[in-house]
Amino acid sequence: MNTEPLQITIAEWDQRFVEMQREGFFQPEYGGQLSRHLSDGDSRLAKLRYDNSPSSLNLWNFLLTEEDRLQKYKQEGRKIVGAMKDLGTVPVMAYSLPNVTAFYPDGAWWIPCVMELNSSVLAVADSLGIDESFCPVRAMLGAFVNKAHFPPPDLLVCSVGATCDDFSAIAQRLNGLGYPILWWEIPHRRMAGRDEETVILPGGFKCSREQVRFVEIELGRVKKAIEEIAGDEITDSRLNDGIGIANRVRDVLRELRRLVFTARLAPLPSLELLIAEMFAIHFCSDRKEAFNILSNLLVEVRKRVSEGKGYFGLDAVKVFWVNPVADLRVMNLLEDCGGRICGTDYLFCHALDEIPVGVPPMEALAMMALADPMTGSTGDRATRICNDINLFGAEAVIVSRIPGASHCALEGAIIAERVSSELQLPVVELEVPPLTDSIMPSLSTRISALVETALSCRGKRRVR
Amino acid sequence: MIFAGIDAGSRTIKVVLYDDNGCRVVASGIKDQGVRQVDLAKAVFDEVTEKAGIERKNVGRIVATGYGRTAIDFANTTITEITCHACGVHHWMPDARTVVDIGGQDSKLLRLEPDGRVRDFVMNDRCAAGTGRFLEVVAERLGVRVGDLGALAQMATNACAISSMCVVFAETEIIGLLASGETPENIVAGVQASITSRIASMAGRSVAEPVVFTGGVALIPGMDKALESALGRKVAVCSEPQLTGALGAAILAARGD
Repeated sequence: MNTEPLQITIAEWDQRFVEMQREGFFQPEYGGQLSRHLSDGDSRLAKLRYDNSPSSLNLWNFLLTEEDRLQKYKQEGRKIVGAMKDLGTVPVMAYSLPNVTAFYPDGAWWIPCVMELNSSVLAVADSLGIDESFCPVRAMLGAFVNKAHFPPPDLLVCSVGATCDDFSAIAQRLNGLGYPILWWEIPHRRMAGRDEETVILPGGFKCSREQVRFVEIELGRVKKAIEEIAGDEITDSRLNDGIGIANRVRDVLRELRRLVFTARLAPLPSLELLIAEMFAIHFCSDRKEAFNILSNLLVEVRKRVSEGKGYFGLDAVKVFWVNPVADLRVMNLLEDCGGRICGTDYLFCHALDEIPVGVPPMEALAMMALADPMTGSTGDRATRICNDINLFGAEAVIVSRIPGASHCALEGAIIAERVSSELQLPVVELEVPPLTDSIMPSLSTRISALVETALSCRGKRRVR
Repeated sequence: MIFAGIDAGSRTIKVVLYDDNGCRVVASGIKDQGVRQVDLAKAVFDEVTEKAGIERKNVGRIVATGYGRTAIDFANTTITEITCHACGVHHWMPDARTVVDIGGQDSKLLRLEPDGRVRDFVMNDRCAAGTGRFLEVVAERLGVRVGDLGALAQMATNACAISSMCVVFAETEIIGLLASGETPENIVAGVQASITSRIASMAGRSVAEPVVFTGGVALIPGMDKALESALGRKVAVCSEPQLTGALGAAILAARGD
């Protein structure tokens, strides 16, 4: 069996799966042929190319079976918490109790990305008057109404305030449809005033001690609500354990990212790394298995790096990617155009940082929540992006936008301008809707031109 | 040695033969685009080589660029129009620091380094509002040829404000303006201002001079003035603006890029 890193189609994965079975590769409960998800309606998968390692197969199968796991947990009587918008904080708290599972209903924006038009989530949102001029998170409304993608949560919590206006509007609409929501407030992150104590947050941002205290109190309300539905107490000891496990997942991801971004040859394509990074937020509803999958992926990546194996050649242009894409094909396209991933900010980079230890656990979670790039200024976010670009050595930057998502549109130009003026790197902004098939040539031109521009800069640096 | 550049744009196919010894254009040709792009490109290429008295075997390398570049199967390689336009403009106007290219289907603004390399670029990616397509729609609606729009605009007394961000809605707006008795001259001038204001918004705050205008739309009289007004900078129209991309492709072919 060929074990050289190779991007393969879903049909080629089927052949490879047969070979793997013949050779006795262990398949977990959620395992199996990748193509079976096509019959669930995930037709977009047929247009992607995948890394051919067994670890990557597990990564995809785990991601694509999350809905089944949530339904199973519901049937088993576990309590389900629907956390919205905080991206990485509330699940850490919820998973500290043995019979509670958390997931992100707002992750439903992803459903059309894999199912194209096979899911009616966007049509339902349209019928509710939330059309395509709104953020794709509107898919969440459809998912609640058609009840086809996740079980009704026992508790819905949503952070509001300095998060995202689009999202607040959509979540309030959900509230209006009869879904009770526990709102908790996150303030706009600000520097400490003259007489205030400064707190350094994960990722390096700063805020005032007063803000940390405020968020701690707000999260305390969420904690109490989770305890009430679970009939169990989230003790500091349990919370510390939960933070410890979340940090182990984050440690693995940070090392995975470091290796992928800095290896001479890219040991993993950008698509699989994007999927892996998303595990940091919600663990795909199973912390232990998420950790195992990421650890195995890290083993594979380390092996490839030590053997000098990888993708896209030594000349591939190192590209830093800002914001998530609505069509995963575009991640493949980056590499088709001569690029490779070298740094990412998919709007949840705070969920990759270590949750502070050595401070009371609720305070640590409050600090984590305040480290969210969306709670601060775009300038703060641009600073972190510039630091990461320097750290990983990216040569060019892509800032992608999702139509309707105002955060992407409003922040993109500021980030692009900052990167361009501070680091003198070429930057291109791309709009990536959920289905890019008809605009692929245009996207390809932009990415190829960025690669050409970066290569010409490289030549110039050599001359110097 | 002779090298060739083919620019398979959305509206026309352009071919340039370039002699790297004399650093000069030997021959060029343009044809309207069609369904069978590769056949059209071959036809223009054959026509141009025949006109120049050069046999195919004596053409060193061929670089294809433009929207349809990947369809040109007889080219040795492809390079994007962004890189090619920069190279073509630098050939004619080595001092250029900003290039505005308004083509049939898209528009772009390139910022150049002093040595002609692309520093960065922006392209419109939403609709036809900042492109030559807008002018075609207006010409059709007013019953005039695209080439005559410039002359019309120059007779405008008070350019109309076209507020729509979308060509389709703008067309409706134009129908309304005509119905209310507005003159075609003022409408065309308004459309020119609308296109160039889109370019200015794309450019943002930093537009270094000299600014060079290229692409087919640069040939339309008055567009350069409208662009100057929108950017607040002096704008020079490139020599043979329609051929800039193909020329850049030919030069890059000669360099072996």
